[in-house]
Amino acid sequence: MTRFEIIAIRLILLGVVLAAWEALPRLGFINPLLLPPLSQVLVTLGDLLQRPMVQEAVAVTALEVIVAFIVAVPIGAAAGILIAENQYVGDIFKPMLFYVFSIPKSIFLPMFILVFGIGFQQKVAYAAFTTAFVVLMSAAAAVESVRADHIMVARSYGATRGQILRRVYVPSMLPILLEALRIAMIFNFTGVMIAEMYASRTGIGHLIANWGENFQMPQLFAGVIVLSVVAILFNEAVRALEARCSTWRT
Amino acid sequence: MQHLANVNELRAQTDEAAIQVDNLSHTYAGPDGGVPALIDISLNVRKGRFVVIVGPSGCGKTSLLMMLAGLRAHDEGTILCHGRPIPQPDPERVGVIFQEASLFPWLTTMDNIEFPLSLGSTPREERRRRAQSMLSLVSLEGFGERYPHELSGGMKQRVSIARGLVQNPPVLLMDEPFAALDEQTRMTMGHELLRIWSTTQKTVLFITHSLTEAVYLADEVLVMSARPGRIIDHIEVTLPRPRTYEMMATDVFGRLRDRIWQQIRKAD
Repeated sequence: MTRFEIIAIRLILLGVVLAAWEALPRLGFINPLLLPPLSQVLVTLGDLLQRPMVQEAVAVTALEVIVAFIVAVPIGAAAGILIAENQYVGDIFKPMLFYVFSIPKSIFLPMFILVFGIGFQQKVAYAAFTTAFVVLMSAAAAVESVRADHIMVARSYGATRGQILRRVYVPSMLPILLEALRIAMIFNFTGVMIAEMYASRTGIGHLIANWGENFQMPQLFAGVIVLSVVAILFNEAVRALEARCSTWRT
Repeated sequence: MQHLANVNELRAQTDEAAIQVDNLSHTYAGPDGGVPALIDISLNVRKGRFVVIVGPSGCGKTSLLMMLAGLRAHDEGTILCHGRPIPQPDPERVGVIFQEASLFPWLTTMDNIEFPLSLGSTPREERRRRAQSMLSLVSLEGFGERYPHELSGGMKQRVSIARGLVQNPPVLLMDEPFAALDEQTRMTMGHELLRIWSTTQKTVLFITHSLTEAVYLADEVLVMSARPGRIIDHIEVTLPRPRTYEMMATDVFGRLRDRIWQQIRKAD
């Protein structure tokens, strides 16, 4: 199958799903109160985006996501590199971190609320907490993926420590780190959403939770579309960067 | 043929030591006071010679090579390379070829070969030119833009040899460079290495555990015992050069190989 055919089939499938979304509720196969037709959702979406309350919620959520990411990535990366590079630190903390990593982080949410309240800080703290673990694990894996023989080769050609770092460590780790950033953002976004839906006064997650409780389905689906588009855009941007940095990977 | 004969004459005339090792011993730190790895190693590799060290796995031959390359410290004894100690890697004097080709997968063939030069101050054009000439030396013209995963095992090892030679060091240390290759590729690569050696007139110290490879390649063979490693025999390989595949079937070849095998077995 050619590339063109594959893309054509994908677009057709997308069209079928969207058409079904429009047709099935209208034809009565699905209760339109549960799944409003696509056109109605899009009209609601256009309307919602005009409202200052929604605009503010989107801005707050975006800021929470960005700040949590900026807090979590350096902390997670530094901790991950430390436990991978330093044998003692690794031996002491690795098992503990692996155990904590396996626990669903959402069970800690009530504690975050007690400590930070239900405002901006709590969203950032909780999302950064969940994200830092993912970054930590990936950063440790990235360091461990650097091959000892590559370091040896560089040393044998007289590379300095700085050159080994720049010319061997960074390119070896880059593909895993970029992948880690992408996955970290998914966790980060999820963290902010869960925190907003659980207890909040603003933010797009809060609005979605409210619309759901009040059975405002067109609004709910409009919110889902906005979030999906933002999340997919970010994911694809990092993926494009990833592909450019690792043409050598098979 | 004429050309090779001259090269051999030239070699025979130099008695100067490229590598001189005296009473080298080393013990690795361990729970019970340490594991002796090398005991009282002395050897002398004259300039332009092809010397092979052969010994059982784990006899410390790789450790020895690392020490000669300045990549690993040793406890006792002296190592001189072209008259001077080598406390840290010196790519001007010594090039190292490792068992795995160890090419950087994120660099093309050309960039891999240029890597040693790119660590220093060689101008870009000069780097390209020298890497290009190394590429022809190892018969890989046209593969410069390929990535390592697009090359066969033998080709990777050729690139690795080109990378080891690009800084033009007089001494080449090779640690079982063909061990991971299949038998046929290994034979071809041995032959290729001899061709490259006779063109470049390097001093080569080559480690292997293949007796056939040792006799086929070497001017001299040093036999090491199992751990702790000692040198238990020193054999001059009197076969004429250039070496041919047919020589492997001769009595002389067989006797030399047997002698090495007897020595290794006796020491076991």
